[in-house]
Amino acid sequence: MLFFSFFKTLTDQVITVELKNDLCITGTLKSVDQFLNIRLDGITVEDPERHPHMMAVKNCFIRGSVVRYVRMGARSVDTTLLEDATRRGEFMVRVLKGLRVD
Amino acid sequence: MEQVAAGTISEPLDLVKLSLGERVFIKLRGDRTLTGNLHAYDAHMNLVLSQVEENIHIVDVGEDGTAAPPRIERRGFEMLFIRGDSVILVSPLLE
Amino acid sequence: MSAVEAYVDHTVQVILYDGRVIVGKLRGYDPRTNLILSDCVEREYSLEGVEMVPLGLYMIKGDNVAIIGEMDEDKDGSIDYTEIKAEPLGEIRL
Repeated sequence: MLFFSFFKTLTDQVITVELKNDLCITGTLKSVDQFLNIRLDGITVEDPERHPHMMAVKNCFIRGSVVRYVRMGARSVDTTLLEDATRRGEFMVRVLKGLRVD
Repeated sequence: MEQVAAGTISEPLDLVKLSLGERVFIKLRGDRTLTGNLHAYDAHMNLVLSQVEENIHIVDVGEDGTAAPPRIERRGFEMLFIRGDSVILVSPLLE
Repeated sequence: MSAVEAYVDHTVQVILYDGRVIVGKLRGYDPRTNLILSDCVEREYSLEGVEMVPLGLYMIKGDNVAIIGEMDEDKDGSIDYTEIKAEPLGEIRL
């Protein structure tokens, strides 16, 4: 639940999802679900010469299980809140009240 | 490691809990290692790290099947979520 | 999973765990990401260009699905795939 809530706070931010086949997809995070499946809009792929496979794809649904990393800007994340939420093992939605959670 | 002696650590995840906000070393599947500041984890070992350095250990194999000396590819990330199913180990980094 | 609802009756590109690329019209899905695709074509990438292999109507088991992408059909139609030369995508390794 912690990371589900964490990703919800990143909605509408630009992130890069690196998959376990080395494909790196950058786009705007549109939604996330409890499996950490990710929906990205306005996507671009890193190294299009090597990976032209997504050239004509506008947006995509990425199965959570194929994700290796999600890269994001440091300013998108309140690390103090994250640590507190982790320590308490609570649902982050409660801690993040006052921040945008939707 | 006084906490270990004092018995504050009773289960494996407690060691990770004590590393919150600290620099950690992570070993991942696919011959990858990371160092970074740990900000979040859960029971699946999903993690969030900042100021991350990733090292990928690569052994190139030539056409004749002989292995070249191992080389390391380095990358840096300012903020990174790591999916837990790739994680092999988490260790506090004593600098 | 409801994110997939928006793709129903649209042309999608599905990337499978083994790296295969399949394009077709999404006719249905369930919470396990099992998919029904009509008029499927597999796009086989190689250094000799992309080969289009018609497959027909497919039910793809969710365990194999890595990515579902919505195609920009105008853009797709403007690309000469015989000129796209690339290695096939790698498989998803754990």
